[in-house]
Amino acid sequence: MKAGRGGVLFWQLAILIVFIGAWEYLTGIKAISKTPGLYWIDPFFISRPSKIVERFLYLASDKVRLSIWQMALSTIQSTLWGFLVGISTGFVAGLVLGRNDRVARIFDPYIVAFNSLPRIALVPLITMIFGFGLLAKIVLAWSIVFFIVFFNTFQGARSVDADLVNSARFLGARESQIMRTVVIPSALAWTFASLTPSISFALIGVVVGEFIGGESGGGLGYLIILSLGTLNAADMMVALFALGVIGIVMALGIKQIEARLLRWRPEYQKR
Amino acid sequence: MAPRVRISIRDLSKTFSQGLREVPAVSRVSFDIYDKEFVAIVGPSGCGKSTILNMIGALIAPSGGQILVDGTAVAGNAPAQVGYVFQKDTVFPWRTVERNIGLGLEYHGVPAAERAARVGEAIKLAGLQGFEEAFPATLSGGMRQRVALMRSLIVNPEILLMDEPFGALDTHTKLNLHAELLALWEARHQTVVFVTHDLSEAITLADRVVVMTRRPGRLKHVYDVKLPRPRDVIKIRESDEYLREYGQIWHALGEEFQEKAS
Repeated sequence: MKAGRGGVLFWQLAILIVFIGAWEYLTGIKAISKTPGLYWIDPFFISRPSKIVERFLYLASDKVRLSIWQMALSTIQSTLWGFLVGISTGFVAGLVLGRNDRVARIFDPYIVAFNSLPRIALVPLITMIFGFGLLAKIVLAWSIVFFIVFFNTFQGARSVDADLVNSARFLGARESQIMRTVVIPSALAWTFASLTPSISFALIGVVVGEFIGGESGGGLGYLIILSLGTLNAADMMVALFALGVIGIVMALGIKQIEARLLRWRPEYQKR
Repeated sequence: MAPRVRISIRDLSKTFSQGLREVPAVSRVSFDIYDKEFVAIVGPSGCGKSTILNMIGALIAPSGGQILVDGTAVAGNAPAQVGYVFQKDTVFPWRTVERNIGLGLEYHGVPAAERAARVGEAIKLAGLQGFEEAFPATLSGGMRQRVALMRSLIVNPEILLMDEPFGALDTHTKLNLHAELLALWEARHQTVVFVTHDLSEAITLADRVVVMTRRPGRLKHVYDVKLPRPRDVIKIRESDEYLREYGQIWHALGEEFQEKAS
Protein backbone atom coordinates (compact mmCIF):
# COMPACT_ATOMS: atom_id res chain seq x y z
CA MET A 1 0.00 0.00 0.00
CA LYS A 2 2.67 2.44 1.07
CA ALA A 3 4.98 1.48 -1.78
CA GLY A 4 2.09 1.93 -4.20
CA ARG A 5 1.40 5.43 -3.02
CA GLY A 6 5.10 6.30 -3.23
CA GLY A 7 5.11 4.98 -6.78
CA VAL A 8 2.20 7.20 -7.76
CA LEU A 9 3.90 10.24 -6.27
CA PHE A 10 7.12 9.36 -8.10
CA TRP A 11 5.37 9.24 -11.45
CA GLN A 12 3.46 12.41 -10.77
CA LEU A 13 6.67 14.26 -10.02
CA ALA A 14 8.46 12.65 -12.97
CA ILE A 15 5.76 13.83 -15.38
CA LEU A 16 5.93 17.35 -13.97
CA ILE A 17 9.71 17.53 -14.30
CA VAL A 18 9.73 16.11 -17.83
CA PHE A 19 6.97 18.48 -18.85
CA ILE A 20 8.65 21.60 -17.48
CA GLY A 21 12.06 20.47 -18.76
CA ALA A 22 10.70 19.88 -22.25
CA TRP A 23 8.94 23.21 -22.20
CA GLU A 24 12.10 25.05 -21.18
CA TYR A 25 14.25 23.15 -23.67
CA LEU A 26 12.01 23.19 -26.74
CA THR A 27 11.29 26.88 -26.44
CA GLY A 28 15.05 27.55 -26.25
CA ILE A 29 16.36 25.82 -29.38
CA LYS A 30 16.17 27.25 -32.87
CA ALA A 31 14.57 25.33 -35.73
CA ILE A 32 17.08 26.72 -38.22
CA SER A 33 20.34 27.89 -36.70
CA LYS A 34 21.12 31.59 -36.69
CA THR A 35 17.72 32.55 -38.07
CA PRO A 36 16.33 34.97 -35.51
CA GLY A 37 12.92 34.18 -34.08
CA LEU A 38 12.45 30.73 -35.60
CA TYR A 39 12.12 28.46 -32.60
CA TRP A 40 10.96 24.87 -32.46
CA ILE A 41 8.21 26.15 -30.28
CA ASP A 42 7.87 29.88 -30.17
CA PRO A 43 8.10 31.24 -26.59
CA PHE A 44 6.21 34.28 -27.81
CA PHE A 45 2.98 32.30 -27.47
CA ILE A 46 3.58 30.07 -24.49
CA SER A 47 6.55 31.74 -22.83
CA ARG A 48 9.18 29.69 -20.95
CA PRO A 49 9.26 28.42 -17.36
CA SER A 50 12.32 30.51 -16.52
CA LYS A 51 10.66 33.60 -17.97
CA ILE A 52 7.46 32.90 -16.04
CA VAL A 53 9.32 32.59 -12.75
CA GLU A 54 11.14 35.81 -13.52
CA ARG A 55 7.88 37.64 -14.22
CA PHE A 56 6.29 36.13 -11.16
CA LEU A 57 9.07 37.43 -8.93
CA TYR A 58 8.73 40.83 -10.55
CA LEU A 59 4.93 40.90 -10.16
CA ALA A 60 5.28 39.74 -6.57
CA SER A 61 7.73 42.50 -5.70
CA ASP A 62 6.72 45.99 -4.62
CA LYS A 63 8.10 47.48 -7.83
CA VAL A 64 4.65 47.17 -9.42
CA ARG A 65 1.59 49.31 -8.71
CA LEU A 66 -0.76 46.33 -8.45
CA SER A 67 1.09 43.25 -7.17
CA ILE A 68 0.12 39.66 -7.95
CA TRP A 69 -0.77 39.23 -4.27
CA GLN A 70 -3.33 42.02 -4.40
CA MET A 71 -4.79 40.60 -7.59
CA ALA A 72 -4.95 37.09 -6.18
CA LEU A 73 -6.53 38.39 -3.00
CA SER A 74 -9.19 40.23 -4.97
CA THR A 75 -10.00 37.07 -6.94
CA ILE A 76 -10.09 34.89 -3.84
CA GLN A 77 -12.22 37.37 -1.95
CA SER A 78 -14.86 37.67 -4.64
CA THR A 79 -14.88 33.92 -5.22
CA LEU A 80 -15.39 33.12 -1.55
CA TRP A 81 -18.10 35.75 -1.14
CA GLY A 82 -19.93 34.62 -4.24
CA PHE A 83 -19.57 31.04 -3.10
CA LEU A 84 -20.78 31.67 0.45
CA VAL A 85 -23.74 33.81 -0.55
CA GLY A 86 -24.52 31.35 -3.35
CA ILE A 87 -24.55 28.25 -1.18
CA SER A 88 -26.49 29.82 1.67
CA THR A 89 -29.22 31.27 -0.56
CA GLY A 90 -29.26 28.16 -2.77
CA PHE A 91 -29.51 25.91 0.26
CA VAL A 92 -32.38 27.82 1.85
CA ALA A 93 -34.26 28.10 -1.45
CA GLY A 94 -33.71 24.39 -2.13
CA LEU A 95 -35.03 23.42 1.29
CA VAL A 96 -38.09 25.65 1.12
CA LEU A 97 -39.08 24.60 -2.39
CA GLY A 98 -38.10 20.99 -1.78
CA ARG A 99 -40.47 20.70 1.16
CA ASN A 100 -43.28 22.65 -0.44
CA ASP A 101 -44.82 21.11 -3.53
CA ARG A 102 -47.06 24.02 -4.39
CA VAL A 103 -44.39 26.70 -4.22
CA ALA A 104 -42.05 24.41 -6.18
CA ARG A 105 -44.59 24.00 -8.98
CA ILE A 106 -45.22 27.74 -9.15
CA PHE A 107 -41.55 28.66 -9.40
CA ASP A 108 -40.49 25.79 -11.64
CA PRO A 109 -40.70 27.48 -15.09
CA TYR A 110 -38.91 30.62 -13.85
CA ILE A 111 -36.09 28.65 -12.34
CA VAL A 112 -35.62 26.52 -15.43
CA ALA A 113 -35.73 29.59 -17.68
CA PHE A 114 -33.22 31.57 -15.66
CA ASN A 115 -30.92 28.62 -15.24
CA SER A 116 -30.82 27.92 -18.97
CA LEU A 117 -29.58 31.45 -19.68
CA PRO A 118 -25.84 31.31 -20.29
CA ARG A 119 -24.53 33.23 -17.31
CA ILE A 120 -21.73 34.80 -19.37
CA ALA A 121 -24.39 36.67 -21.33
CA LEU A 122 -25.40 38.38 -18.11
CA VAL A 123 -21.94 39.83 -17.46
CA PRO A 124 -22.52 43.14 -19.24
CA LEU A 125 -25.89 43.61 -17.55
CA ILE A 126 -24.51 42.77 -14.13
CA THR A 127 -21.65 45.19 -14.74
CA MET A 128 -24.12 47.89 -15.76
CA ILE A 129 -26.07 47.44 -12.56
CA PHE A 130 -23.33 46.76 -10.05
CA GLY A 131 -20.47 48.68 -11.57
CA PHE A 132 -16.87 47.64 -12.19
CA GLY A 133 -16.03 46.46 -8.73
CA LEU A 134 -16.00 43.60 -6.30
CA LEU A 135 -19.78 43.52 -6.11
CA ALA A 136 -20.33 42.71 -9.78
CA LYS A 137 -17.94 39.77 -9.56
CA ILE A 138 -19.65 38.46 -6.44
CA VAL A 139 -23.07 38.72 -8.06
CA LEU A 140 -21.82 36.86 -11.10
CA ALA A 141 -20.33 34.03 -9.04
CA TRP A 142 -23.51 33.92 -6.96
CA SER A 143 -25.74 33.63 -10.03
CA ILE A 144 -23.95 30.41 -10.99
CA VAL A 145 -23.41 28.87 -7.57
CA PHE A 146 -26.95 29.53 -6.43
CA PHE A 147 -28.48 27.25 -9.05
CA ILE A 148 -26.02 24.42 -8.63
CA VAL A 149 -26.62 24.30 -4.88
CA PHE A 150 -30.30 24.98 -5.26
CA PHE A 151 -30.97 22.06 -7.58
CA ASN A 152 -28.98 19.64 -5.46
CA THR A 153 -30.55 20.68 -2.17
CA PHE A 154 -33.97 20.62 -3.80
CA GLN A 155 -33.44 17.01 -4.84
CA GLY A 156 -32.07 16.19 -1.41
CA ALA A 157 -35.02 17.73 0.39
CA ARG A 158 -37.43 15.84 -1.88
CA SER A 159 -35.80 12.49 -1.40
CA VAL A 160 -35.85 12.53 2.39
CA ASP A 161 -36.87 9.04 3.51
CA ALA A 162 -40.53 9.20 4.61
CA ASP A 163 -39.94 6.46 7.20
CA LEU A 164 -37.26 8.57 8.89
CA VAL A 165 -39.71 11.46 9.08
CA ASN A 166 -42.39 9.12 10.44
CA SER A 167 -40.12 7.65 13.06
CA ALA A 168 -39.20 11.16 14.20
CA ARG A 169 -42.89 11.93 14.45
CA PHE A 170 -43.51 8.86 16.61
CA LEU A 171 -40.76 10.05 18.92
CA GLY A 172 -42.69 13.28 19.40
CA ALA A 173 -40.93 15.62 16.95
CA ARG A 174 -42.59 18.87 15.95
CA GLU A 175 -42.33 20.10 12.34
CA SER A 176 -39.42 22.41 13.15
CA GLN A 177 -37.59 19.55 14.87
CA ILE A 178 -38.17 17.29 11.89
CA MET A 179 -36.67 19.99 9.68
CA ARG A 180 -33.62 20.30 11.90
CA THR A 181 -32.96 16.66 12.71
CA VAL A 182 -34.15 14.85 9.58
CA VAL A 183 -34.61 17.04 6.51
CA ILE A 184 -31.53 19.25 6.82
CA PRO A 185 -29.03 16.47 7.62
CA SER A 186 -30.24 14.26 4.81
CA ALA A 187 -30.38 17.14 2.31
CA LEU A 188 -26.87 18.22 3.35
CA ALA A 189 -25.38 15.10 1.82
CA TRP A 190 -26.76 16.22 -1.54
CA THR A 191 -25.75 19.82 -1.00
CA PHE A 192 -22.17 18.81 -0.30
CA ALA A 193 -21.98 16.90 -3.55
CA SER A 194 -22.53 20.24 -5.27
CA LEU A 195 -19.90 22.22 -3.38
CA THR A 196 -16.78 21.14 -5.26
CA PRO A 197 -18.25 22.04 -8.66
CA SER A 198 -19.67 25.19 -7.09
CA ILE A 199 -16.31 26.56 -6.01
CA SER A 200 -14.88 25.93 -9.48
CA PHE A 201 -17.82 27.67 -11.10
CA ALA A 202 -17.59 30.55 -8.66
CA LEU A 203 -14.00 31.01 -9.76
CA ILE A 204 -15.05 30.93 -13.42
CA GLY A 205 -17.71 33.55 -12.76
CA VAL A 206 -15.26 35.81 -10.99
CA VAL A 207 -12.59 35.56 -13.69
CA VAL A 208 -15.09 36.31 -16.43
CA GLY A 209 -16.25 39.29 -14.39
CA GLU A 210 -12.66 40.44 -14.10
CA PHE A 211 -12.17 40.19 -17.87
CA ILE A 212 -14.45 43.14 -18.40
CA GLY A 213 -14.25 44.62 -14.93
CA GLY A 214 -11.07 46.57 -15.64
CA GLU A 215 -8.63 47.85 -13.08
CA SER A 216 -11.16 48.84 -10.44
CA GLY A 217 -12.29 45.21 -10.25
CA GLY A 218 -8.68 44.05 -10.26
CA GLY A 219 -8.00 40.36 -9.88
CA LEU A 220 -6.16 37.74 -11.88
CA GLY A 221 -8.69 37.94 -14.72
CA TYR A 222 -7.67 41.57 -15.12
CA LEU A 223 -4.02 40.51 -15.32
CA ILE A 224 -4.90 38.08 -18.12
CA ILE A 225 -6.71 40.75 -20.13
CA LEU A 226 -3.90 43.22 -19.46
CA SER A 227 -1.34 40.69 -20.74
CA LEU A 228 -3.44 40.15 -23.83
CA GLY A 229 -3.26 43.87 -24.51
CA THR A 230 0.54 43.84 -24.27
CA LEU A 231 0.92 40.38 -25.85
CA ASN A 232 2.77 39.23 -22.75
CA ALA A 233 2.48 35.42 -22.54
CA ALA A 234 4.66 35.20 -19.42
CA ASP A 235 2.33 37.37 -17.35
CA MET A 236 -0.62 35.44 -18.64
CA MET A 237 0.99 32.19 -17.54
CA VAL A 238 1.67 33.65 -14.10
CA ALA A 239 -2.03 34.45 -13.78
CA LEU A 240 -3.06 31.00 -15.01
CA PHE A 241 -0.77 29.20 -12.57
CA ALA A 242 -1.99 31.38 -9.74
CA LEU A 243 -5.60 30.55 -10.66
CA GLY A 244 -4.73 26.86 -10.77
CA VAL A 245 -3.22 26.97 -7.31
CA ILE A 246 -6.19 28.90 -5.93
CA GLY A 247 -8.61 26.42 -7.49
CA ILE A 248 -6.81 23.40 -6.05
CA VAL A 249 -6.48 24.85 -2.55
CA MET A 250 -10.15 25.80 -2.46
CA ALA A 251 -11.29 22.38 -3.68
CA LEU A 252 -9.11 20.66 -1.07
CA GLY A 253 -10.54 22.91 1.62
CA ILE A 254 -14.07 21.92 0.65
CA LYS A 255 -13.14 18.24 0.74
CA GLN A 256 -11.82 18.70 4.28
CA ILE A 257 -15.01 20.36 5.49
CA GLU A 258 -17.10 17.73 3.72
CA ALA A 259 -15.20 14.86 5.35
CA ARG A 260 -15.83 16.44 8.75
CA LEU A 261 -19.50 17.17 8.35
CA LEU A 262 -20.32 13.95 6.54
CA ARG A 263 -18.19 11.73 8.75
CA TRP A 264 -21.23 9.52 9.38
CA ARG A 265 -21.21 8.33 5.77
CA PRO A 266 -19.64 4.91 5.13
CA GLU A 267 -17.03 6.34 2.73
CA TYR A 268 -15.65 8.57 5.49
CA GLN A 269 -15.64 5.92 8.20
CA LYS A 270 -12.21 4.84 9.28
CA ARG A 271 -12.36 1.32 10.55
CA MET B 1 -61.91 -7.24 36.82
CA ALA B 2 -61.92 -7.42 33.05
CA PRO B 3 -58.77 -6.04 31.42
CA ARG B 4 -59.00 -2.59 29.89
CA VAL B 5 -59.27 -2.33 26.12
CA ARG B 6 -56.45 -0.17 24.77
CA ILE B 7 -56.89 -0.55 21.04
CA SER B 8 -60.26 -1.27 19.54
CA ILE B 9 -60.38 -2.11 15.85
CA ARG B 10 -63.90 -1.86 14.53
CA ASP B 11 -65.03 -3.04 11.13
CA LEU B 12 -61.77 -1.76 9.65
CA SER B 13 -61.29 -1.75 5.86
CA LYS B 14 -58.67 -0.34 3.57
CA THR B 15 -58.72 -0.13 -0.21
CA PHE B 16 -55.75 1.17 -2.18
CA SER B 17 -56.21 2.62 -5.63
CA GLN B 18 -53.65 1.55 -8.20
CA GLY B 19 -54.37 3.74 -11.16
CA LEU B 20 -57.97 2.96 -12.01
CA ARG B 21 -58.02 -0.32 -10.11
CA GLU B 22 -59.22 -0.52 -6.54
CA VAL B 23 -57.26 -3.08 -4.58
CA PRO B 24 -58.81 -4.16 -1.29
CA ALA B 25 -56.08 -4.76 1.31
CA VAL B 26 -58.02 -5.13 4.53
CA SER B 27 -61.65 -6.10 4.72
CA ARG B 28 -63.92 -5.58 7.72
CA VAL B 29 -61.55 -6.56 10.50
CA SER B 30 -62.62 -6.22 14.13
CA PHE B 31 -60.75 -7.13 17.30
CA ASP B 32 -59.67 -5.62 20.59
CA ILE B 33 -56.23 -5.41 22.13
CA TYR B 34 -56.06 -5.23 25.90
CA ASP B 35 -53.78 -3.34 28.23
CA LYS B 36 -50.31 -4.89 28.78
CA GLU B 37 -51.00 -7.47 26.14
CA PHE B 38 -48.54 -8.73 23.54
CA VAL B 39 -50.44 -9.40 20.31
CA ALA B 40 -48.89 -10.75 17.14
CA ILE B 41 -50.54 -10.48 13.74
CA VAL B 42 -49.54 -13.13 11.22
CA GLY B 43 -50.67 -13.93 7.71
CA PRO B 44 -49.42 -14.52 4.18
CA SER B 45 -47.68 -11.59 2.52
CA GLY B 46 -50.08 -9.02 1.16
CA CYS B 47 -52.73 -9.87 3.75
CA GLY B 48 -52.75 -6.31 5.03
CA LYS B 49 -51.18 -6.97 8.42
CA SER B 50 -48.75 -4.09 8.10
CA THR B 51 -51.56 -1.95 6.74
CA ILE B 52 -53.52 -2.49 9.95
CA LEU B 53 -50.48 -1.49 11.98
CA ASN B 54 -49.99 1.62 9.87
CA MET B 55 -53.61 2.57 10.42
CA ILE B 56 -53.23 2.19 14.20
CA GLY B 57 -50.21 4.47 13.95
CA ALA B 58 -52.14 6.95 11.77
CA LEU B 59 -49.63 6.60 8.95
CA ILE B 60 -52.50 5.82 6.59
CA ALA B 61 -56.20 6.51 6.93
CA PRO B 62 -58.81 3.71 6.91
CA SER B 63 -61.28 3.49 4.02
CA GLY B 64 -63.94 2.19 6.34
CA GLY B 65 -64.51 1.47 10.02
CA GLN B 66 -62.43 3.01 12.76
CA ILE B 67 -59.71 2.47 15.35
CA LEU B 68 -60.00 3.66 18.92
CA VAL B 69 -56.91 4.04 21.04
CA ASP B 70 -57.88 4.47 24.69
CA GLY B 71 -61.37 5.33 23.54
CA THR B 72 -60.34 8.09 21.13
CA ALA B 73 -60.67 7.62 17.38
CA VAL B 74 -57.32 7.70 15.57
CA ALA B 75 -57.31 10.47 12.98
CA GLY B 76 -54.53 12.49 11.40
CA ASN B 77 -51.80 12.42 14.01
CA ALA B 78 -50.30 9.42 15.73
CA PRO B 79 -51.61 9.01 19.29
CA ALA B 80 -49.01 10.33 21.74
CA GLN B 81 -48.80 7.09 23.73
CA VAL B 82 -47.77 5.08 20.66
CA GLY B 83 -44.25 4.11 19.65
CA TYR B 84 -43.33 2.47 16.35
CA VAL B 85 -40.47 0.22 15.27
CA PHE B 86 -40.19 -0.06 11.51
CA GLN B 87 -39.12 -3.06 9.50
CA LYS B 88 -36.78 -0.86 7.54
CA ASP B 89 -33.68 0.49 9.16
CA THR B 90 -34.77 3.93 10.39
CA VAL B 91 -31.79 4.71 12.57
CA PHE B 92 -30.54 8.17 11.54
CA PRO B 93 -27.23 7.52 9.77
CA TRP B 94 -25.86 10.98 10.63
CA ARG B 95 -26.24 10.49 14.36
CA THR B 96 -24.12 8.40 16.66
CA VAL B 97 -25.70 5.52 18.60
CA GLU B 98 -26.21 7.58 21.74
CA ARG B 99 -27.60 10.56 19.88
CA ASN B 100 -30.00 8.26 18.03
CA ILE B 101 -31.27 6.71 21.23
CA GLY B 102 -31.62 10.13 22.84
CA LEU B 103 -33.66 11.57 19.95
CA GLY B 104 -37.07 11.27 21.60
CA LEU B 105 -35.79 12.85 24.81
CA GLU B 106 -34.29 15.66 22.78
CA TYR B 107 -37.64 16.25 21.05
CA HIS B 108 -39.38 16.41 24.42
CA GLY B 109 -36.88 18.92 25.74
CA VAL B 110 -35.40 16.67 28.44
CA PRO B 111 -32.32 18.41 29.94
CA ALA B 112 -28.95 17.13 28.74
CA ALA B 113 -27.85 15.66 32.06
CA GLU B 114 -30.97 13.56 32.50
CA ARG B 115 -30.83 12.62 28.86
CA ALA B 116 -27.27 11.34 29.18
CA ALA B 117 -28.21 9.25 32.21
CA ARG B 118 -31.23 7.67 30.55
CA VAL B 119 -29.40 7.06 27.30
CA GLY B 120 -26.56 5.43 29.22
CA GLU B 121 -29.03 3.12 30.92
CA ALA B 122 -30.64 2.20 27.60
CA ILE B 123 -27.26 1.50 26.02
CA LYS B 124 -26.44 -0.85 28.88
CA LEU B 125 -29.81 -2.60 28.55
CA ALA B 126 -29.23 -3.14 24.84
CA GLY B 127 -25.65 -4.30 25.36
CA LEU B 128 -24.30 -1.52 23.18
CA GLN B 129 -21.54 -0.40 25.53
CA GLY B 130 -18.47 0.75 23.63
CA PHE B 131 -20.54 1.78 20.62
CA GLU B 132 -21.94 5.02 22.06
CA GLU B 133 -19.95 7.17 19.64
CA ALA B 134 -20.25 4.85 16.64
CA PHE B 135 -22.16 5.85 13.54
CA PRO B 136 -24.79 3.36 12.30
CA ALA B 137 -22.82 2.63 9.12
CA THR B 138 -20.27 0.75 11.24
CA LEU B 139 -22.87 -1.41 13.03
CA SER B 140 -24.40 -4.76 12.10
CA GLY B 141 -28.08 -5.03 11.20
CA GLY B 142 -28.90 -6.53 14.58
CA MET B 143 -27.18 -3.73 16.45
CA ARG B 144 -28.93 -1.11 14.36
CA GLN B 145 -32.30 -2.68 15.14
CA ARG B 146 -31.37 -2.69 18.86
CA VAL B 147 -30.69 1.03 18.58
CA ALA B 148 -34.07 1.53 16.88
CA LEU B 149 -35.80 -0.50 19.61
CA MET B 150 -34.15 1.41 22.46
CA ARG B 151 -34.86 4.69 20.70
CA SER B 152 -38.56 3.85 20.70
CA LEU B 153 -38.60 2.53 24.25
CA ILE B 154 -36.74 5.40 25.90
CA VAL B 155 -39.74 7.71 25.65
CA ASN B 156 -41.78 5.06 27.50
CA PRO B 157 -44.56 4.49 24.99
CA GLU B 158 -47.48 2.64 26.56
CA ILE B 159 -48.29 1.08 23.21
CA LEU B 160 -45.56 -0.24 20.94
CA LEU B 161 -46.26 -1.04 17.31
CA MET B 162 -43.68 -3.26 15.65
CA ASP B 163 -43.71 -3.96 11.92
CA GLU B 164 -41.60 -7.07 11.26
CA PRO B 165 -38.74 -5.44 13.17
CA PHE B 166 -36.51 -8.52 12.98
CA GLY B 167 -37.50 -9.59 9.47
CA ALA B 168 -34.14 -8.82 7.92
CA LEU B 169 -32.01 -10.54 10.57
CA ASP B 170 -30.46 -13.99 10.67
CA THR B 171 -31.95 -16.63 12.99
CA HIS B 172 -29.29 -16.36 15.65
CA THR B 173 -29.49 -12.57 15.95
CA LYS B 174 -33.25 -12.81 15.83
CA LEU B 175 -33.37 -15.18 18.82
CA ASN B 176 -31.11 -12.88 20.83
CA LEU B 177 -33.36 -9.96 20.08
CA HIS B 178 -36.45 -11.99 21.02
CA ALA B 179 -34.93 -12.67 24.41
CA GLU B 180 -34.02 -9.01 24.87
CA LEU B 181 -37.41 -7.79 23.76
CA LEU B 182 -39.16 -10.19 26.16
CA ALA B 183 -36.94 -9.09 29.03
CA LEU B 184 -37.69 -5.45 28.33
CA TRP B 185 -41.37 -6.20 28.03
CA GLU B 186 -41.45 -8.18 31.29
CA ALA B 187 -40.05 -5.09 33.00
CA ARG B 188 -42.57 -2.57 31.66
CA HIS B 189 -45.45 -4.52 30.16
CA GLN B 190 -46.20 -2.20 27.30
CA THR B 191 -49.09 -3.09 25.06
CA VAL B 192 -47.38 -4.50 21.98
CA VAL B 193 -48.76 -5.11 18.51
CA PHE B 194 -46.22 -7.15 16.58
CA VAL B 195 -46.61 -7.85 12.87
CA THR B 196 -44.65 -10.77 11.43
CA HIS B 197 -44.78 -13.51 8.82
CA ASP B 198 -42.75 -15.80 11.07
CA LEU B 199 -45.13 -17.95 13.10
CA SER B 200 -42.50 -19.25 15.53
CA GLU B 201 -41.58 -15.67 16.33
CA ALA B 202 -45.23 -14.84 16.94
CA ILE B 203 -45.76 -17.80 19.30
CA THR B 204 -42.52 -17.20 21.16
CA LEU B 205 -43.38 -13.61 21.91
CA ALA B 206 -47.13 -13.13 22.00
CA ASP B 207 -50.06 -13.69 24.35
CA ARG B 208 -52.40 -13.87 21.40
CA VAL B 209 -51.83 -14.52 17.73
CA VAL B 210 -54.17 -12.95 15.19
CA VAL B 211 -54.25 -14.94 11.95
CA MET B 212 -55.26 -13.07 8.80
CA THR B 213 -56.54 -14.56 5.56
CA ARG B 214 -54.84 -13.91 2.25
CA ARG B 215 -55.78 -10.76 0.36
CA PRO B 216 -58.14 -9.07 0.94
CA GLY B 217 -57.11 -9.55 4.56
CA ARG B 218 -59.89 -10.64 6.84
CA LEU B 219 -59.65 -11.90 10.38
CA LYS B 220 -59.39 -15.67 10.26
CA HIS B 221 -58.97 -16.58 13.87
CA VAL B 222 -57.44 -15.32 17.10
CA TYR B 223 -55.43 -17.87 19.12
CA ASP B 224 -54.52 -17.63 22.79
CA VAL B 225 -50.94 -18.72 23.33
CA LYS B 226 -51.08 -20.47 26.68
CA LEU B 227 -47.35 -20.70 27.26
CA PRO B 228 -46.10 -19.72 30.72
CA ARG B 229 -44.04 -16.59 31.22
CA PRO B 230 -41.28 -15.62 31.54
CA ARG B 231 -40.33 -17.56 28.44
CA ASP B 232 -36.96 -18.90 27.41
CA VAL B 233 -36.81 -18.27 23.68
CA ILE B 234 -34.62 -21.34 23.03
CA LYS B 235 -36.11 -23.90 25.37
CA ILE B 236 -39.69 -22.93 24.65
CA ARG B 237 -39.39 -24.34 21.16
CA GLU B 238 -38.74 -27.81 22.53
CA SER B 239 -41.78 -27.81 24.76
CA ASP B 240 -44.87 -29.82 23.89
CA GLU B 241 -47.17 -26.85 24.46
CA TYR B 242 -45.23 -24.83 21.92
CA LEU B 243 -45.41 -27.60 19.35
CA ARG B 244 -49.13 -28.03 19.94
CA GLU B 245 -49.81 -24.28 19.54
CA TYR B 246 -47.58 -24.18 16.50
CA GLY B 247 -49.29 -27.16 14.87
CA GLN B 248 -52.73 -25.72 15.44
CA ILE B 249 -52.00 -22.23 14.11
CA TRP B 250 -49.81 -23.54 11.31
CA HIS B 251 -52.74 -25.55 10.06
CA ALA B 252 -54.92 -22.45 9.82
CA LEU B 253 -52.14 -20.45 8.22
CA GLY B 254 -51.33 -23.27 5.82
CA GLU B 255 -54.84 -23.14 4.42
CA GLU B 256 -54.21 -19.56 3.41
CA PHE B 257 -50.89 -20.37 1.74
CA GLN B 258 -52.44 -23.30 -0.09
CA GLU B 259 -55.41 -21.45 -1.47
CA LYS B 260 -53.04 -18.84 -2.75
CA ALA B 261 -50.97 -21.40 -4.56
CA SER B 262 -53.87 -23.14 -6.31
